[in-house]
Amino acid sequence: MTENAVLPAPTFTVEGGEHVPGNKGIWVGIFCVLVEFLLLFCVYFIAKAHHPEAFASGPDKLATVAGVAITLLLLTSGYCMVKAVAAMHRNERHTTLRWVLAAIVLGIGYPLVKYFEIRWNVAHGIDGEAGIFYTVYYYLTLNHLVHVSWGLLGLAWVATRTALGIYSARDYSGLEAAAMYWHATDVLWLVIFPFFYVLR
Amino acid sequence: MTGKAEKYWLLLVGLTLAGAWLAETGHAGWPLSLVVAGLIAFKGRMVIDHYMEITGAHPRIRAVLHGFVTLVPLLVVFSHGWGGLIKRWTTIT
Repeated sequence: MTENAVLPAPTFTVEGGEHVPGNKGIWVGIFCVLVEFLLLFCVYFIAKAHHPEAFASGPDKLATVAGVAITLLLLTSGYCMVKAVAAMHRNERHTTLRWVLAAIVLGIGYPLVKYFEIRWNVAHGIDGEAGIFYTVYYYLTLNHLVHVSWGLLGLAWVATRTALGIYSARDYSGLEAAAMYWHATDVLWLVIFPFFYVLR
Repeated sequence: MTGKAEKYWLLLVGLTLAGAWLAETGHAGWPLSLVVAGLIAFKGRMVIDHYMEITGAHPRIRAVLHGFVTLVPLLVVFSHGWGGLIKRWTTIT
């Protein structure tokens, strides 16, 4: 513990004095992503309503273990970012950097698992033309992968800035903003996972 | 939050594995839809409240995030029970 450990949490506030975790810009981005995925989820529900048999049998052919692995990687990576933000709040920059790097390493596991999952799918005849369920599955999961890639780039950016000593217990809104976006991608996957691997 | 992070992580992992077990047992129908809706709502809320720590955040941020993880599970239930209605609404004749 350093003397900075007693510093108050840095807050970005808006009129009325309410706290905005991270910064305003990241919340505009997060709200846009939530709206985008809500629309994609509507596509899922509409396709399911028109082709209930395809959506009832579709998950049987997918590798559930891949979906579980991605969920565990994202949840654990998110946990690392919780620890990273908490460490920066205590002004422990080296500890923060270690947690952010751990979050990145686990996060990179997502595209790796996805790569092997798609290879497995294709080997079993599950491509984008295998049926409406798999078309929606590829569209939604690859779209999520794109957003996770942005998140990974964001984490790499804040890891660099942490290593350069730019953040401190007085100002780490950038670090917190990246963590917010990362957790938002986590929330989205918690919806996508049961849609394609569990629900019948 | 710190100190409780491990507890929430373990709970989220446990619920994920429970969901995977459901997937492997091939359950279907209303019970599965209700359980999945509950899991989405509960896990989403846990990440929002305990990972993102938005309990002290601006009320609009809380409303949007909580609204999202409430609306989606309701849509899961609605699509299961009233899929025919969704089909009728989205059919161009």
